[in-house]
Amino acid sequence: MPALSSTMKEGKLSEWLTSEGSPISSGDSIATIESDKADMDLEAFADGTLLKILVEEGETAKVGEPIAVILEEGEEEVELMKLIEGGGGTEPVVETQEPASSSSPPPVSASTEPQTPHTKVYMPALSSTMTSGKVVSWEVDESGTVGSGEPLLTVESDKADMEVEHLGDDGFLARICVEEGASCDVGEVVAVIVENEEDVAKWDGWMPGASVSAPSPSPASPAASKPAAAAKAPSASSPAPSGGRVIASPLAKKVAKDKNIDLSQVTGTGPEGRITVSDVEGFTAGSPPKKKSDTPPVSSWKPANGVVAATPMARALAKKSKIDLSTISGTGQFGRVTEADVKSALGESPKKKKVLPGVPAVELPSGFVKYSGMQSAVSTNMEATLTVPIFRVSSTIEMNSFNKLYASVKPNGVTLTVLISKAVSIAIQKHPIMNSRHDSNGGIYYNSDINIANAVALDGGLITPVMKNTNEKSLEELGEEWRDLVSKAREGKLKPDEFNSGTFAITNLGMFGVTAFDAILPPNTGTILALGATTEVIRPCEECVGGMRKVKEMTVTVTCDHRPIYGSDAAIFLKTLKEVMENPEKWGVK
Amino acid sequence: MKIFSYLLVLQQVYCFAPIALTRRHCSQLNAEYDFDVAIIGCGVGGHGAALHARGQGLKTAVFSGRDVGGTCVNRGCVPSKALLAASGRVRDMKDASHLESLGINVEGEVTYDRQAVADHAKNLANTVKGNLENSLIGLDVSVIEGRGILAGPNKIKDDQSGKIYTAKNIILAPGSIPFVPPGVTVDEKTVYTSDGALNLDFVPEWVAIIGSGYIGLEFSDVYTALGSEVTFIEALPMLMPTFDREIAKQAERMLIRPRAIDYRLGVFASEVTPGEQGKKPCTIKMIDANTKEHVETIEVDAVMVATGRVPNTKDMGLESMNIETNRGFVAVDEKMRVKTSADGEVIDNLYCIGDANGVMMLAHAASAQGISAVENICGREHVVNHEAVPAACFTHPEIAMVGLTEEQAVERAEKEGWTLGKSQGNFRANSKALAEGEGAGIAKVLFNKETEKIVGVHIIGIHAADLIQECANAVEQGTTVRELSMMVHTHPTLCEVLDEAFKGAVGMSSH
Repeated sequence: MPALSSTMKEGKLSEWLTSEGSPISSGDSIATIESDKADMDLEAFADGTLLKILVEEGETAKVGEPIAVILEEGEEEVELMKLIEGGGGTEPVVETQEPASSSSPPPVSASTEPQTPHTKVYMPALSSTMTSGKVVSWEVDESGTVGSGEPLLTVESDKADMEVEHLGDDGFLARICVEEGASCDVGEVVAVIVENEEDVAKWDGWMPGASVSAPSPSPASPAASKPAAAAKAPSASSPAPSGGRVIASPLAKKVAKDKNIDLSQVTGTGPEGRITVSDVEGFTAGSPPKKKSDTPPVSSWKPANGVVAATPMARALAKKSKIDLSTISGTGQFGRVTEADVKSALGESPKKKKVLPGVPAVELPSGFVKYSGMQSAVSTNMEATLTVPIFRVSSTIEMNSFNKLYASVKPNGVTLTVLISKAVSIAIQKHPIMNSRHDSNGGIYYNSDINIANAVALDGGLITPVMKNTNEKSLEELGEEWRDLVSKAREGKLKPDEFNSGTFAITNLGMFGVTAFDAILPPNTGTILALGATTEVIRPCEECVGGMRKVKEMTVTVTCDHRPIYGSDAAIFLKTLKEVMENPEKWGVK
Repeated sequence: MKIFSYLLVLQQVYCFAPIALTRRHCSQLNAEYDFDVAIIGCGVGGHGAALHARGQGLKTAVFSGRDVGGTCVNRGCVPSKALLAASGRVRDMKDASHLESLGINVEGEVTYDRQAVADHAKNLANTVKGNLENSLIGLDVSVIEGRGILAGPNKIKDDQSGKIYTAKNIILAPGSIPFVPPGVTVDEKTVYTSDGALNLDFVPEWVAIIGSGYIGLEFSDVYTALGSEVTFIEALPMLMPTFDREIAKQAERMLIRPRAIDYRLGVFASEVTPGEQGKKPCTIKMIDANTKEHVETIEVDAVMVATGRVPNTKDMGLESMNIETNRGFVAVDEKMRVKTSADGEVIDNLYCIGDANGVMMLAHAASAQGISAVENICGREHVVNHEAVPAACFTHPEIAMVGLTEEQAVERAEKEGWTLGKSQGNFRANSKALAEGEGAGIAKVLFNKETEKIVGVHIIGIHAADLIQECANAVEQGTTVRELSMMVHTHPTLCEVLDEAFKGAVGMSSH
């Protein structure tokens, strides 16, 4: 963070003008800094690549603190990343690192891209609506020779099968990344062609996306756009829906060509559906299928070869969001892709919602957001539970005595979670089946330890820290263990053993006032216990004055795997749990 | 785009000669000539000269060439201000977050009527033109409708009637026309110069502007406010090449980056083919400015050609006086007297002012030159100090300047052996600017540290065009930054941005 004035102590990063991974040349403005007096652009004074942004937009940094790391040419990214992660926070601003010692050999693994002269072949967009393509057949075998202009593979798009030609120099097909019959998204690498035959072997086993800097399908990579653009030209004249041939009279073809009409869009009325001149003329004069009604008639204009039909803002947004413009159909003038088209392709609503007068606008999140690692794990685990046959049993537990016990042990750092976990483990000791799980070898797997997993909601995720051997530990010990687990969970520092070793799970939504609910069984667990809120109710009571009394109650529900555990097991377990929780004086703790 | 080319003027120039309390008229009429002064061209320059000539009691004629008001009034500064005023309001009212910060909510969509905006520009031009013509008639200037053509010493032919008029002094003020580079076909409908752009026949979804000077920049402001996306095509490797570099950078941050604008630098639009609105886009082929290799072709809805202006001096009889032009520009001395060529002889009683001499292609510079020419006609030697002529670009926010750019000043200081000082005022620190929610911008004062005189001022920020005058006056009068720092500036006004810079120049703090 530079000092932009003599009085400046800290600066706010108002805008990054480049993004991580972007190349930078000396003198480029890379960020806008807001000082106490003015906004100023920060210029890079070295060529390289912006490796890591350390201060995000809107954040503030003290003068002299590093705000980003630039990777100079020849530097080892890995080395520098280590440095950043190791907390290189005292380094100067736009710091540069001398090239790492050249003695260390380049790591050889499947994830590294062999440094040989090569061309990557990308899945081309064969039509404006095509987003993915299937490789029908490879016309050349791996390690075979490929000549410029020769057919390389046949691709099945949403509309037709088409041959894709090799456009680069002659070479050897080193690696087929997408096998026959397999599909991939437009812009993904389908093959690698090398210049020299001896390099073919080096690409053996290489897969795109595995390398540290994955080849992006963005239009920034020139090779990606080349096949797409080239493949488009033939598509204008030859393909027809559902793989058929376009049949048109010669004059119709000529008129269509003159008027830049895509014959595949024209419906033929001649013999056997042949397209006649009048069909083509009717298409021009009358009604091409319109995509949008609120713009002036979009002519059937087809952009010239090599012209990217997209407005400046559409281009900028597409580049930023790494989306291939050729996959987006345009609704602008002359079929041009507009910013709104890109936004809708990205799943964002193009326009701001109309707001009722006097009601403050609420910005609702919209569109696709990729799962975080933790969310992906939850998603996978949840899907896996669909194959597990489950049942649920509920019971209501009177909490008056339990709450008294809780009040007495709370000062010792014992939380409700800990206390309930303890009660559950006492009940489990009497019904070990509840602590078992299904084993795929066709049997019950009994756990000798009672490890209670409690679900904890995190910002954007969920995790289940595990208190181990709860039956053998004192409440105070458990209290300390749980505190430790929770703080680790919040920092994301739980070890796998600390969140996946549970033998019995508990989840609690009572604090939100939920009266009762049931939970989904986590993998490798036989039972999960769901706790509702404690509520006050009036119950009949013959001995009581007035014939009723006020009690505190909590509804609990167990979800069990019906393969090892049966309904009666669960019912008896709940009965025991009820007894344990309603009579805490019998626990042996104070 | 070429805007300035400074005459090498004397460092200490003449200001107006000491004014005699009873300034004598300099009527020179004798029976020999029809007029004392005949002016060819009725733009802002010719008009200024005519008014001053009548003020001196000279019998004056103006050949209007059916274009009273000239480029500025009819096809330039004036109607473009109308478009900027309308589109600027549209921009303001669409800027919900800015309005919200002032506590204002605009409910529903802000819309505009394109034709009504275009009409506003047209009506404004007509009003100003009418006022201008009336002032000439009111002052008893003979307005001759035809175009004036030089027909030898003291002789002008009216191309409409064929009649030859005689005048003791002739002032050439024919102005300029837009420059269209080779390869560019202008149809004034989809490919147009500023002439056609001012009609605002339609609001294109995507417009390319060739040239990123004043005119291109102002139109990008209009277009983006009305919802168009803009692509600048600039032959030089930087945007706004004629601007002070620091100001250009600020302008890029305020006027280019946050808007729907992208650009190509270092490329020529080698071939521009008009389209047909709604049927066929315009095609622009671009080649690299150095290698001349094709780099890109784009298809846009409209193309505006803003690559500068060339003198309108063709077919005006210059050869009858053996005058050689340089690409159409008429060479003049510092008193605006025409020379036969750049290093040729001065021709007596023949003057050339405004865009046609290329000294400084600005309306108010032309007017100042016209007044100066009349002073010289009256025998009072006068030279315009072009370094004291301010200029402005009416974007939102505005850009204004007077004197040298920092790059020129550094060079000048080194050459002449003085130390360049620089002081800056910030809109961010100004109460009035903050009240408007318009804290972006700077005012930069460049001065000679030894003499403390100002050599250049550059302002970008709200109302910069109205702020520059104080600096222009200071340059003209040779007022020092020390004197300026002691002059009281109204609080709270935007002028305090300059106050901050003046005070900073002499080590004082303003707040």
